[in-house]
Amino acid sequence: MTENEKHNWKPKIVAFLCNWCSYGAADLAGVSRLQYPPYIRPIRVPCTGRMDPKFILAAFRQGADGIWVSG
Amino acid sequence: MESISGEVGRFQVTVKKEPRYIDLQRCTGCGDCAEVCPVSVPSEFDLSLSDRKATYKPYAQAIPGGYAIQKLDRSPCTYTCPNQVNAHGYVALVHQGRYREAMELIMDTLPLPGVLGRICPHPCESACRRGKVDAPVSICALKRFVADQVDVEDLPPPVIAPRQEKVAVIGSGPAGLTAAYFLAKEGYQVTIFEALPVAGGMLRVGIPDYRLPPKVLEKEIRAITRLGVEIRLNKTLGQNITIDGLSSQDYKAIYLSIGAHNSLKLGISGEEANGVIPGVDFLRRVNLGELTQLEGRVVIVGGGDVAIDAARSALRLGAEKVAILYRRTRAEMPAREEEVEDALEEGIEIQFLIAPTQILTDQDELSGIQCLRMELGEPDASGRRRPVPVHGSDFIIKADMVIPAIGQQPDGSTLAEIAGVELTRRNTIRVDSVTYETSKAGVFAGGDAVSGPWIAIEAVAAGKEAAVSISRYLEGKDLHLNRERDGITQEHFSPIPEKVQPTARATMPRLAVDHRLRSFAEVDLGFTEEQVRAEAEKCLNCMVCSECMQCVKACKAEAVNHDLLAGTFSLEVGSVILAPGFENFDPAQYDTYAYSELENVVTSLEFERMFSASGPFRGHLVRPSDHEEPKRIAWLQCVGSRDINHCDNSYCSGVCCMHAIKQAVIAKEHAKDRLDTAIFFMDMRTHGKDFERYYERAREEYSVRFIRSRVHTVYPERETGDLILAYVDEAGENREETFDLVVLSVGMQTPRSVLDLAQRLGVDVDADSFCATNSFQPVATSKAGIYVCGVFQSPKDIPQSVVEAGAAAAAAGDILAPARNTLTITQELPQEINVRGEVVRIGVFVCHCGINIAGVVDVEAVRDYAGTLPYVVHVEDSLYTCSQDAQERMLRVIREQNVNRVVVAACSPRTHEPLFQDTLVSSGLNKYLFEMANIRNHDSWVHSGTPPAATEKAKDLLRIAVTKVALLEPLQETTVEIRQSALVVGGGVAGMVAALQLAGQGYPVTLVEATAQLGGHARSIRTTWLGENVGEYLSDLVARVRNHSAIKVRLNSHLEEVKGFVGNFQSKVRMSGENGTTYSTVNHGVAVVATGGQPAIPEEYLYGLHPRIFLWHELDDAVEAGKLECTNSAVFIQCVGSREPQRPYCSKICCTFSLQRAIDLKETNPEMDVYILYRDVRTYGQREELYRRARAAGVIFIRYSLTDKPVIHTSDQGQLQVHVKDHILQRPLLLTPEFIVLASAIETRGAEVLAQLFKVSLSEDGFFAEAHAKLRPVEFATDGVFLCGLAHYPKPLEECIAQAQAAASRAISLLAQETLQVSGQVAEISSMKCSACGVCVTVCPFGAPSFNERGLSEINRALCKGCGICAASCRSGAIDLKGFEDKQIFAMIEEI
Repeated sequence: MTENEKHNWKPKIVAFLCNWCSYGAADLAGVSRLQYPPYIRPIRVPCTGRMDPKFILAAFRQGADGIWVSG
Repeated sequence: MESISGEVGRFQVTVKKEPRYIDLQRCTGCGDCAEVCPVSVPSEFDLSLSDRKATYKPYAQAIPGGYAIQKLDRSPCTYTCPNQVNAHGYVALVHQGRYREAMELIMDTLPLPGVLGRICPHPCESACRRGKVDAPVSICALKRFVADQVDVEDLPPPVIAPRQEKVAVIGSGPAGLTAAYFLAKEGYQVTIFEALPVAGGMLRVGIPDYRLPPKVLEKEIRAITRLGVEIRLNKTLGQNITIDGLSSQDYKAIYLSIGAHNSLKLGISGEEANGVIPGVDFLRRVNLGELTQLEGRVVIVGGGDVAIDAARSALRLGAEKVAILYRRTRAEMPAREEEVEDALEEGIEIQFLIAPTQILTDQDELSGIQCLRMELGEPDASGRRRPVPVHGSDFIIKADMVIPAIGQQPDGSTLAEIAGVELTRRNTIRVDSVTYETSKAGVFAGGDAVSGPWIAIEAVAAGKEAAVSISRYLEGKDLHLNRERDGITQEHFSPIPEKVQPTARATMPRLAVDHRLRSFAEVDLGFTEEQVRAEAEKCLNCMVCSECMQCVKACKAEAVNHDLLAGTFSLEVGSVILAPGFENFDPAQYDTYAYSELENVVTSLEFERMFSASGPFRGHLVRPSDHEEPKRIAWLQCVGSRDINHCDNSYCSGVCCMHAIKQAVIAKEHAKDRLDTAIFFMDMRTHGKDFERYYERAREEYSVRFIRSRVHTVYPERETGDLILAYVDEAGENREETFDLVVLSVGMQTPRSVLDLAQRLGVDVDADSFCATNSFQPVATSKAGIYVCGVFQSPKDIPQSVVEAGAAAAAAGDILAPARNTLTITQELPQEINVRGEVVRIGVFVCHCGINIAGVVDVEAVRDYAGTLPYVVHVEDSLYTCSQDAQERMLRVIREQNVNRVVVAACSPRTHEPLFQDTLVSSGLNKYLFEMANIRNHDSWVHSGTPPAATEKAKDLLRIAVTKVALLEPLQETTVEIRQSALVVGGGVAGMVAALQLAGQGYPVTLVEATAQLGGHARSIRTTWLGENVGEYLSDLVARVRNHSAIKVRLNSHLEEVKGFVGNFQSKVRMSGENGTTYSTVNHGVAVVATGGQPAIPEEYLYGLHPRIFLWHELDDAVEAGKLECTNSAVFIQCVGSREPQRPYCSKICCTFSLQRAIDLKETNPEMDVYILYRDVRTYGQREELYRRARAAGVIFIRYSLTDKPVIHTSDQGQLQVHVKDHILQRPLLLTPEFIVLASAIETRGAEVLAQLFKVSLSEDGFFAEAHAKLRPVEFATDGVFLCGLAHYPKPLEECIAQAQAAASRAISLLAQETLQVSGQVAEISSMKCSACGVCVTVCPFGAPSFNERGLSEINRALCKGCGICAASCRSGAIDLKGFEDKQIFAMIEEI
């Protein structure tokens, strides 16, 4: 990857967020107006216990550059 | 809460409610108001480490989530201004450089800002509280700056609704102009009649141009005429116009503002001579250009502003010498101080204590003035000392011109001709003091014509008020209504910050003296922008909110309402719970810790904010002085606790040790290995559940240093800002250590306001200022029907506070139980529409959230994009989708367009999903056919710098939501009946209290006790630590349980089997009796576990091998049996089996027990040697009193360490010998007591069996594990099962009782629902696919899956929490989670 490409790289990051903690934390980041890059696409799950490894594989298959499971 | 009357069950409570000024129904919590608010004050939540705005939300997660505006008493500047010009408001706006907004704000009350900004004597500044620090803010000059910056003619003209009525204003001075301005804004047709050839009255002809350049006045007058006001010059009342004439010309109201232009006469001979010109006449002629040159000597008589103005004007016209004669001294001079200074600076001579007696003439030409010297006598009516002539002091001053300037009055001859308008004796017009109405209907008056000569701002105020009156008069309204200014206090203002730096008042640039005298050019040149910003910054924001009204303009939801008033309302209640909390001890009282002087000495609460992610440093751990990361942090314990030297707080606050350890551990986690942490303490009190483990981990895993010592001095290292701690270590050595940051672990105390509340309610407090309670009724105050919980009851941590809250709720509920459900209303809902099999029709609603979303995201583009997505049949956007009207619209859309799935793209489902789901239900749709796209919290708010990318993300989030909603199906919620009865396991105090509480509120209870009698361990306890008789309490308790018709007691009984789930348990009880073993089944809705604990039997210290080594209450038995009479020495050994590797927890009650017994022994026999061998004395909370008493009584405390435990031997004669190392002398000691008491650990036995029956878990230490240590301390993770007493953790009697009440309270709140509504988002197992592997049964933390009679797994919907762990774990793919099904999640992933 060239420097230029690195600079313009817009990664696709999928975040599986637990409804009770991380999703709420992301809400709070908004209330606090914390700024972060606009490349994250959150998917709300009822609990990270719901996470099936197949979800992660499916996200990679869809071209995700990174997957973040948080709960 | 202001007052209470009545009695238990029927109290009347009066509550005062402060207005919020923001309507919570409308507020969306967007924060636009705070964005524009110009006032910043220290944030209470961040303990002044950061600022907040006057309109604010206390903290991000605050509930309710709306904003509020803080207003104290009106700022003194605004309050003092006769015209109530909002000085605080424009100063705040000037501080931010928002001059245009400031100008608009001024124009709301004052149409002449440039004029008043120059000539006002500014009463506001005299009232300014900044004067207490250094000097008042230069408010007036700031107003001038604003007026000079912003062209008044550039402001958008106000929107005026024209009216037909004509109003005549006579006189164009400040009163007339102001009245015309406000009347014109109301739409009236206003004509001003002015006698002179120029407009402006005294402003134009009474004030010299060097003070008020005519172009400033002319501009502001033009701005008034822009509103439609017509000014007719050279129209004199009584000559060209008359009142009656105007009335006949259809002027419906007339305003008289003719001023006071007639000079008072000196009343001495020669006054008619040529060369004598009265002051105002002189100034008028100069201002009109009739007098442009002067020669010779000019003498002015008088000491007011007119005298000074005349003198300075005379000098500018060429007079050789100008002198002012004043009959009193400078101190009495009414002229403004700065004017007098200017005059002296310009070379004018002022002679004091001189009065003229005669004007001397030579053939009618003035030649001089004869004077007398005066001296001051007694004070006169004005309070000034009266000048008294000195006999024989006559002298003559030569003069070519004399200007008498001793006062003015209105033109009496003109006024006398107005029929029906009454005058006063001073020849002024008589008016109503509030409405400015004259005695003639429809005629109003104001300004100098009413008040006599007075300041311009007063005339402006009169004009503004007259405009209100005239408008009301013309509309036929009450002129007086709500116009009195009474009841407004001037007491409560924002405090003056301690660290405010005194700054000199800015000096305005001025024209040099030699330049001044050549012309009438303006002398004061105005502040620079830098100066105004610095001056404005000095404002102390006395009222907090400045009422600048920027928030009103910013709030798109129209939620702000500054007119709300405080109100009181009364409540009818059966009982009252006090939970007023505490305040932290203020360490500023400790000069040794230099908290006030040293920035890097902070309190524990400040430190808590400092490393909080939402705190002032955004979770980045830095110290206040230089924002550098600290490398060494020290905590000093017991600041304001266990201390009667610096404060009266002799008690232990009970929470600070854990608090400090937690802070040290988290700080370490933040900083990794780069941080050294040290806690300086006296006794480490980690007596709570799992606290000792945490302490151990902090020491072992995190290398937190614990230093047993009290620090005596903190002093700064000069250059670095570091702090040196001086202390004496355990060996008695003086030591010093350097730290970057010092945290004072401050104690808790009851605030003054709470003590006042207690007094108002008639509730007693104890010697430590906590609420007086007793051990047997720990939450009952001294007043029946009033209960207490939290730190006001006694210092405590969060778990115990939450427990007590439950107990207080239970106690309060006892009184209220008969009224349960008498005030509830049932909502009627429409029949649910069956959408199964229907084509999916999605409605998409995109929210602007004011500008919160729309300011970043292109909402219209997102809306249009939604229209292109499959199955979407309706799209729309709205300002606030959550507003009431938007909900009604959504309901209509769903019905009219047959929408059967809804997506809202707005904020977070965590806050707003229930609201929209209610709308779905109201429209007949199943509430689960709904999805939200969070385009605010997760998008516009966090990507405000990249709007195009935010818009793209919003489209993605919406597409993902639409994809999911299309696959959603209606879900059914299950209703579970709750059997209205309870099972309590354990017949000790906790079990009995819980049983009585449940039965008392009408729920039948079965109480199962393993032994043959009720009472548990309490049977062997004599007294509580406060000396209360436990035996009496217990026998009463047992009797009440025995006699209660709703309690069935089953002695000698054990639980054999538990089936069912919350609301429907079936338990099998095995009872052994005389007739053998019998079984019975109990059906119950809830269960309470209160099986207690036991003392561990020590396997050390020769226990059981010597008759005089006792355990706990064996001591009491021995004392009662008289076995210990005539003994002279005793040893207590603490922590026997506790805080050891096999039981790494503190048994909590042993220190209190041993100290209490040691004191008893000492009181019985003061000569006795009593030793307590301890590791830390843990007399937490108010028990510290016991420690103090024990030491005072001469009990000897010897500390031992785990590595050097005491050793007991018996001598050949059977004498007990205890070997222990003295911790101070570091030398071995040999004690030879006559008996020894071992404080052995408390543990549970047989808890595993019950844990399995109820499918609940145990902690590592064998106690029952509650669902959440802080938030759910008496509930199990398994629904419907509750916990209390020693089975939870060792605790004293009062804590057992409170916990039992709390457990019953939680149980009752479940029972009282009668049915349980279970979410539709639960797991479902396909029996076709289930391979009966049992993984789901194993992994579910809630016990929801179980095998059915066919051997296949089945979900109990009532127990399922919808976490989906079973679905993810199922090897056969048999389980899916409704609402989060595999196919739905995969579909979402496909759309990323």
